[in-house]
Amino acid sequence: MGKYKKIIMIKDTNTGNRTSRIYDLFLNSLRERGLEDDVQVVRVADINFYNKGVVARILPDNITYVKIEESDIDRIVRISIVKDDTVKDLLVDPKDKQMRIVLRNCGIIDPESIDDYLKFDGYKGLKKVLEENNRDKVIEELKISGLCGRGGGGFPTWMKWNFAKSQQTDTKFIICNGDEGDPGAYMDRSVLEGDPHSVIEGMIIAAFAIGAKKGYLYIRAEYPLAISRVEMAIEQAHQKGLLGKNILGTDFSFDLGIRLGAGAFVCGEETALIASIEGKRGCPSPRPPYPTINGLWGKPTVINNVETLANIAQILLNGGKRFSNIGTEKCAGTKVFALTGKVKNSSLIEIPMGITLKEIIYDIGGGVLNNKKIKAVQTGGPSGGVIPEEFFDTCIDYEGLQKLGSIMGSGGMIVMDEDDCMVDIAKFYLKFCVDESCGKCAPCRIGGKQMLDLLTDISEGRASCDHVDQLKRISKAMQKASLCGLGQTASNPVLTTLKYFEEEYKEHIVDRRCKSGKCELLFIYEIIEDKCKHCGLCQKKCPVDAIDGDRDNGFMINQEKCVKCGQCFDVCKFEAISR
Amino acid sequence: MLKAFINNIEVEFEKGLTILEVAEQVQVKIPTLCKHKDLAPSGACGLCIVKVEGSNKMLRSCCTEMTEGMKVNTHDPELVEVRRTVLELILSNHPNDCLTCGRNNDCELQSLVADFAIREESFNKIVREVPKDLSTGTIDVDPAKCIGCGRCIEVCQQIQNVWALSFLDRGINIRMAPAGDIQLADSPCVRCGQCSAHCPTGAIFEHDQTRQVWEELQDPDKFCLVQIAPSVRVAIGEGFGFPVGTNLTKKIYAALRRLGFQVVFDTNFSADVTIMEEATEFVQRFVHKKGALPLITTCCPSWVDFMEKFHADMIEHFSSTKSPQEIMGTLCKTYYAEKNKIDPGKMKVISIMPCTAKKYEISRAEEMFASGYQGTDYVLTTRELIRMIKQAGIDFSSLEDEEPDHLMGDYSGAGTIFGTTGGVMEAALRTAYYFVTGENLKKVEFKNVRGLEGIKETSVMINNIEIKIAVAHGLGNVGEVLNKIKQAKKNGDPLPYHFVEVMACPGGCIGGGGQPYGVTNEVRRLRTEALYDDDQKCEVRCSHDNPFVKKLYKEYLDAPLSEKAHHLLHTKYVPRPEYKK
Amino acid sequence: MTKLTLKNFDQETSKEEKEIKNWVKVGMSTCGIAAGADVVMETIKKAVKENGLDIKVIKTGCVGKCYAEPLVEVKVENMPQVMYGKVDADIANLIIQQHIIGKKLLNDCIYLVAVKDGKNG
Repeated sequence: MGKYKKIIMIKDTNTGNRTSRIYDLFLNSLRERGLEDDVQVVRVADINFYNKGVVARILPDNITYVKIEESDIDRIVRISIVKDDTVKDLLVDPKDKQMRIVLRNCGIIDPESIDDYLKFDGYKGLKKVLEENNRDKVIEELKISGLCGRGGGGFPTWMKWNFAKSQQTDTKFIICNGDEGDPGAYMDRSVLEGDPHSVIEGMIIAAFAIGAKKGYLYIRAEYPLAISRVEMAIEQAHQKGLLGKNILGTDFSFDLGIRLGAGAFVCGEETALIASIEGKRGCPSPRPPYPTINGLWGKPTVINNVETLANIAQILLNGGKRFSNIGTEKCAGTKVFALTGKVKNSSLIEIPMGITLKEIIYDIGGGVLNNKKIKAVQTGGPSGGVIPEEFFDTCIDYEGLQKLGSIMGSGGMIVMDEDDCMVDIAKFYLKFCVDESCGKCAPCRIGGKQMLDLLTDISEGRASCDHVDQLKRISKAMQKASLCGLGQTASNPVLTTLKYFEEEYKEHIVDRRCKSGKCELLFIYEIIEDKCKHCGLCQKKCPVDAIDGDRDNGFMINQEKCVKCGQCFDVCKFEAISR
Repeated sequence: MLKAFINNIEVEFEKGLTILEVAEQVQVKIPTLCKHKDLAPSGACGLCIVKVEGSNKMLRSCCTEMTEGMKVNTHDPELVEVRRTVLELILSNHPNDCLTCGRNNDCELQSLVADFAIREESFNKIVREVPKDLSTGTIDVDPAKCIGCGRCIEVCQQIQNVWALSFLDRGINIRMAPAGDIQLADSPCVRCGQCSAHCPTGAIFEHDQTRQVWEELQDPDKFCLVQIAPSVRVAIGEGFGFPVGTNLTKKIYAALRRLGFQVVFDTNFSADVTIMEEATEFVQRFVHKKGALPLITTCCPSWVDFMEKFHADMIEHFSSTKSPQEIMGTLCKTYYAEKNKIDPGKMKVISIMPCTAKKYEISRAEEMFASGYQGTDYVLTTRELIRMIKQAGIDFSSLEDEEPDHLMGDYSGAGTIFGTTGGVMEAALRTAYYFVTGENLKKVEFKNVRGLEGIKETSVMINNIEIKIAVAHGLGNVGEVLNKIKQAKKNGDPLPYHFVEVMACPGGCIGGGGQPYGVTNEVRRLRTEALYDDDQKCEVRCSHDNPFVKKLYKEYLDAPLSEKAHHLLHTKYVPRPEYKK
Repeated sequence: MTKLTLKNFDQETSKEEKEIKNWVKVGMSTCGIAAGADVVMETIKKAVKENGLDIKVIKTGCVGKCYAEPLVEVKVENMPQVMYGKVDADIANLIIQQHIIGKKLLNDCIYLVAVKDGKNG
């Protein structure tokens, strides 16, 4: 503790306003007892508790107290500092809701050093596998583990491997799908940048199990740092005898290459990815045949995503059973999410399957930004859906999210508040899919564009109720008749917003109004005279001088000048501005 | 044999077939706009979806293999509704130009829309404004009508190995065009027209010249002659409701006279002349060692263009003999003109061809003007002739048979089989045998060169010397044959072949890019059979026995490869760039 | 570099590297660098050198606290292992002066305290 015997860390986890006051009180209390040189009080920026009032953590005892009132301070100092005891009624268990398997080394090891990776059990899983030299056992362990594809599909990984393994041919491939492209998702990038060897080790084990001699990491070109760290890792693994001929001195040989994705979202779809590696136009092909039977250059090919592969070494090292105990009965293990949007702590998190959306948003994410009202959370990116607050108790697993019309997806999780318009959100995701559609199949190519035009009509006040019927009709055709996952799921954001926020659509269509202030043609800012207290703050804040008037006579918004930025609305303390 | 159920009907089938294929066996037709029997499935249109018990998805029947015990539902109300929506979506992205479209009444999209009784368009019309590409003068491309099925690209790349067409752009803006968005004429396109023959709509279409021909026919100063290619006679009937493979030679003669042509000749005659020259060339090279072996046939203009672009190192192997169309054109404006004292400058020779590339051939090299005039003036495809006959109000199926004009209208069996893969080779062998041995074959059929297999290899004994032969059709099959030759030449090995026949289109001219739509291998087989049947029925089976051919040489050309024959009936080849500029 | 084999694996990988008692880790993934981690890294390296400190400066990946990038984790003897967030050059210098040299934690900058669970401790 340096020159101190103890440290008290404090933070007001609600508004933050009381931190300073409590800090002073702690200092006073310590000073009164002559302890100011033995104990340091530190104001911290984050204490990993949210909305639990003032929280204090005492080191080195690692005791955490929550909901501390000013009156509690003296007894905390008396009991916890002086007596070395605990104040039972304020005590909480600081257990982390997160659990790190995939991200086990991210932020901890030097990703550019294979020695660092080796120090943290690196390549021990591979060593164990090669020692046992039993391909069936690898697949058996995976089966026991219950690991499913983390790219979004959720297909049991062992089955994929087993299909490829049972193909009688000399040439097989393993591909790591690092063509992460969902808006707001960066799980794969973090793993590749933070712990590239974990993915490489997973690929080597996969190659051993299915009998592949060559593998490719398909990484999007927009991830230059990930690419260079993976390149470095491959080079180091070669030098250590972990890649190339006779891995770890055995007769198993395997090598890896990197292929760069040129930016097409659809190349994350496995058949399009294969076409892209083969140098063809990145368009999906019909499945079957599945890549595990007829994949890259017509050979059996296993394609796993980055997160799936990062799990492999841990499963083989510690046994499938241990992995299967994590998460829920139907859905084992952890899932990495990129938690973003209107949440206080945008972060990359890894949680055991089965915890609720509420826990993620409030206990890990710290709740909504700027104390706005939460509206929904979007999971699964453009293939996913929007889940309203009433379902936040839903447990995270493939089935749970699917029942709500969304999907687990690869791990994007975007929090939305009252300022987010659901029509606008649906339009955003659909536009993404329309832009990224390869154009090969008619349902996706034309259906997506038609739906986008219908949504644009709604958001610009040109729609009738027929628009909703047409949206539903096209959605169904796209779901059923599109060639690949992109088209089959592109309508999910529209369908879920329609399902949970029908009222908002009605407001747009019938009242021609967008209360969230997103659809520009459907709202204006106005000052409600009765509520206005003539404070003038809005006038000061307006960046385009669109608010006329003075404190004596009141204010009015000049609609011709107004650019609908919403700053007046946000700044008004009296809710005197409507939109 | 495996067993499964389609719509509760039990069906037995061979392993490896798709649901779409098996369904046909029990008279269930699943709609599709992208799957074509010639081509691998692409899954583009999304119409052929079916339900399979045990799967909650709708699967594409074009690419889902039928397996033992499978229970398939192809037409429940939900499937029909989804199909209707997809069809409406496709329609929303397609111009409503049906009345003025070349495919009106013969369009796969149009007939499906009619079948589904789509009476109003519920979706916004999203039609692109993309300019037409008329650069080749043979194949017109109208990308606005493209439904993105990908057939043209698949056939151009995978069947023909030309790679002129590809997909450009993506999403709603996707379209087929030459790579780099250049004009088709500047691309490697060899104008075979297989793209137009496979297009389900009017997006790729032969350059229609019926109006120009009408104008010539109406001009009192012009003297119009016409010739019909071998394969036209067995395909034209499909445009008038005849069963596939009906030989209608004599009705065509009659129809052409009614259209106003003063002289009706038959390209089969000039095919016989081609054989006289080509067989002589072969004997020169094979027996007298004058010139490179193997000798490769050159009747097919797409093949010639392909070779000049991609295999110019093989030019010395090419027969210099002009194609039958060009021989006929040249002889009309020389031999016929002199005999009948007609000013060749006033003559117009129109040929009816199964082929779009023939439109290109008529001006491809200066030798096409050897008579002092362009030998052939206009080329109409079989499809164009059908339209002309209909425009003229001719009740084709009821026409009385007529004979051709005699000087260049009578043909041998060898001439008529020119229209199918293996036919040129067989015809040449019949005459080459005679030229070498001085005797006619006792049995003129060479069955080994017949049939639809992509590459046919065989050998023939003439005077106890073995002649090795290869016959390839579909340009995608040419590479293998040429590589063998090139390899042997490089290594100084014995030649794998002495005589090679190539036709660009699968099946040969009977499957040409200008023939009636809907060609499949079954159609190719029936058309081919009809040609062999025509051969069988001919009294004269060999080109050198055609009395009018004899007369031609006696009165005019002297002998094959004579100076006059060389001047009028032969051509040259030059290397050409794959991409212009 | 010695090639690893099944036989020498344990021996080679368990070679006792002198335990690093004092270290600073800077999150240097794209997210960190975008937020300014490269400047922070340079500042810390320079300060460590100037002050002649026995501190190993380590580049790591992203620990996941995106909202608080750039992140700097500090472990020095007899001090709790803490992670500072939203670090800029000034805070980086303060970390060196006050935390590492002065053995006193900085106010308002700590975002994570290591929970003792072996690896992270």
